[in-house]
Amino acid sequence: MKEKNILVVAVLGIVLACGLYFAFSTRSERSFKNGEVNVLNWTSYIPDDVISDFEKEFGIRVNYGTYSSNEELLAKLSSSNEGAYDLVFPSDYMVELLIQRGMLEKMDKERLRNFSNIDSLFLNQDYDSSNEYSLPFLLAYAELIYDASKIRKPISSYRDLINKDYRNNIILINDQRIIIGSALLATGAEMNSVKDEELEMALKFFEELKPNIKAFDSDSPKTFLITKEAEIGLIWNAEATLAKNENPNLKTVFPKEGFAISMDNYCIPKNSKNRANAYRLIDFLLREDISARIVEEYPYISPNNGLISENEAEIQEILENGSYVENVGVDIKKLDRLWARFK
Amino acid sequence: MKKRVKPSLFRAVVTLPAIIYCLGLILLPILYVFFLSFLTSDSYGGYTYDFTLNNYVEIFEPTYIVMFLKSSAIALLVTFLTLLISYPFAIFLMDKTEKKQNFLIKLVMIPFLTNSLIRTFGWVILLRKNGLINTGLMSTGLISSPLALMYNTFGIVIGLTYTLLPFMILPVYSAVSKVDRNLISAAKDLGASKWKVFKEVYLPLTLSGAFNGSLMVFIPAIGYFFIADILGGGKVMIIGDLIRNQFLSARNWPFGAALSIFLLLFTLLLLKLYRKIGGRLDELGGGI
Amino acid sequence: MRKIRRKKHFYLRNLFIILVFVFLFLPIAVLVLYSFNTSKMNILFEGFTVEWYAKLFENANLIDAFKNTIIIAVISTIVSTILGTLSAIGLKKYNFPGKGFIDKLIYIPIVMPEIVLGIALLSGFTLVKLKLGLFSVLLSHIAFSVPFVITSVRSSLDTLPKDFEEAAEDLGAGKFKTLFYVTLPLLKPGIVSGALLAFTLSLDDVIISFFTAGPGTNTLPLYIYSVIKTGITPDVNALTTLMLVATSVILTVSALYQTRKLRKL
Repeated sequence: MKEKNILVVAVLGIVLACGLYFAFSTRSERSFKNGEVNVLNWTSYIPDDVISDFEKEFGIRVNYGTYSSNEELLAKLSSSNEGAYDLVFPSDYMVELLIQRGMLEKMDKERLRNFSNIDSLFLNQDYDSSNEYSLPFLLAYAELIYDASKIRKPISSYRDLINKDYRNNIILINDQRIIIGSALLATGAEMNSVKDEELEMALKFFEELKPNIKAFDSDSPKTFLITKEAEIGLIWNAEATLAKNENPNLKTVFPKEGFAISMDNYCIPKNSKNRANAYRLIDFLLREDISARIVEEYPYISPNNGLISENEAEIQEILENGSYVENVGVDIKKLDRLWARFK
Repeated sequence: MKKRVKPSLFRAVVTLPAIIYCLGLILLPILYVFFLSFLTSDSYGGYTYDFTLNNYVEIFEPTYIVMFLKSSAIALLVTFLTLLISYPFAIFLMDKTEKKQNFLIKLVMIPFLTNSLIRTFGWVILLRKNGLINTGLMSTGLISSPLALMYNTFGIVIGLTYTLLPFMILPVYSAVSKVDRNLISAAKDLGASKWKVFKEVYLPLTLSGAFNGSLMVFIPAIGYFFIADILGGGKVMIIGDLIRNQFLSARNWPFGAALSIFLLLFTLLLLKLYRKIGGRLDELGGGI
Repeated sequence: MRKIRRKKHFYLRNLFIILVFVFLFLPIAVLVLYSFNTSKMNILFEGFTVEWYAKLFENANLIDAFKNTIIIAVISTIVSTILGTLSAIGLKKYNFPGKGFIDKLIYIPIVMPEIVLGIALLSGFTLVKLKLGLFSVLLSHIAFSVPFVITSVRSSLDTLPKDFEEAAEDLGAGKFKTLFYVTLPLLKPGIVSGALLAFTLSLDDVIISFFTAGPGTNTLPLYIYSVIKTGITPDVNALTTLMLVATSVILTVSALYQTRKLRKL
């Protein structure tokens, strides 16, 4: 009886000791003499080693959280206390919304030595017309991709996706606005339309498309195309490029009805507690060598002027022909319901 | 000589934790959600303090009703499947010695010791188009093209059945093991068929255990959004998805709160039913 | 003839039990197998290696998440075991205003949809302006573990012979002394199984942590949730394997200890 008690106490003691050991040896206790910075970013957007190089170089601990939609970012920002985050990466329309709601700090460009690295092509976009609150981080566009070795008929428009041969074969970004927007484009409407009859048309298009959809996935649609789980996709350009690297049979096209573009931006939330560190991190990410490493791993379009020289014309075209998602105010509820009906 | 502690101090030490815990971590948060459910959401993420019942009215919109029915149908199917596995499992276990039974029941718990997300990922490796099951079946020539085992309702049902099975096995086993063995042999001696023994003896005596398990399976099955996300490919929405979206992406806390309260009331109703058929609260969730 | 048939039945029954265990262990076996896979993608098994077990320790995010998970599991187990045990005793022994209500309320978290509890806690934490982080996750784990400890301790309490405690008090032991030297040792099986349950529930939880975690508090499930779609790398499998081995050992030891204990009672 006695020995058993001792055994129990011993086991509990060991467990407790392990717990305490772990508690005191987490990363926070290592040498980060210059404090921390709380970052909230998209999944798969900045390579881990870029972050750890920043931590080493500046002695700043990066607390890194992720989200997979702008709405999730908004929800996380509004549900946490002010000052919980120091750097976030909202897209165009979300920047506008965050500005409207007074949730962002003004961006002090004077504090960024590498500000001049940003190509003017990317500045002064409609959602923040003089870049008072935001600076461009990466540009993405949604494009069609298909495995040309399997899909014999070339695909060039959204309409081409409706084909009985493509059952259960299409992977789509899991983003309400982009997918509804694309369906609207497919039916000849504007991407940001909220007119009831046009939305009904889009829903009809959806319903025809539905049997062909394999899955909705924003985080890694490329996996589907690489593993041949799906042979057609409407996905972001970086995912498409990565998929093409792995599977050379994949072909990408700009849908002829138009396509969505999305600019993600550096923004500092209101009353951020580690603003100086946030600027340090932005400045670090704006460096040409760092930007190059980011787009090498996640091949979106970097606004870094050292990186765009060759394809400036193409980028200009993308910016002109693509449409940003726009804020639609209360009508968002219509889109929510449409999305629920579709799924 | 040591002083005697006043009984009132002792009393406080053993009763206050329960009171503080219940009020602070259960009642207060629920009441706050209840309060939120009557507020009005503004267009983007916030809410205003205008009291309204609209959030509850919105629940009954056809779009959502269809979704609830679909999600409940999946959950019912999962509950049925887990019952179908747990009963024979528990009854067959009765042939074993007590020691073996104890060991095997502990073995059922082992998968619990890894995170349910990781286990779900194990199913991804098995079920995907070029996963182990499909490649296995194709190499033996049983099928010529891969079966669609995930990114559909089937995948969700497998994932939920798998994750929730232990929650059914434990209470069903506990109830079955309490059935008097003499009753069973008496019934058999009287010439009752196996099915009859099950129907006339086991089932009535283990009903509350089965209901207990069904509660522990059905309720999570309408809420485990991560399984629907991973194995359903985001195509099939379950109630858990809808609620999560209201809080984490669709920026409508009041509606999410109303959905939560609605779900909670539904749970309480099931609980009432459980007690009506003779279930005991302290046997919930295992009864081992 | 009958004997043969019975034997056949016996085998069929065993086969069924075995199949259930195959179902339960299949995905885990696959994960363990793939932790030895040379390929980085968890798709096809290409060759045997143990390098992932070494690489695992280089993945700072994963290790941090693991540590957080262990810290939360250990502390929440200790706290909820103490809270739950005291509560079970208090609810059994004393009457106080509102007891009937609390007695029922305490079971709600067991059946309540996790997502609702998660949301309630998230809303509650934002209401009192608690910073979301390790502490909020810890609190939420305590919140869902306590009722399980209470039910477990209660089942032991019900079998407790009352005269032991009375005898101790008659002999002049104070209430606390009786608690520590008589009641708690007698309740040990219930307390231990309650604590184990709390520990496993904490390790397993996804949904509640999903809502109550804040920036920088990566727990294992959250880490995995963020990488699951890009494809989990085998170092996660390796960690899972190690955790599985460790926890199985603990569980087996405690199970052996417990059954022996139960038989004595």
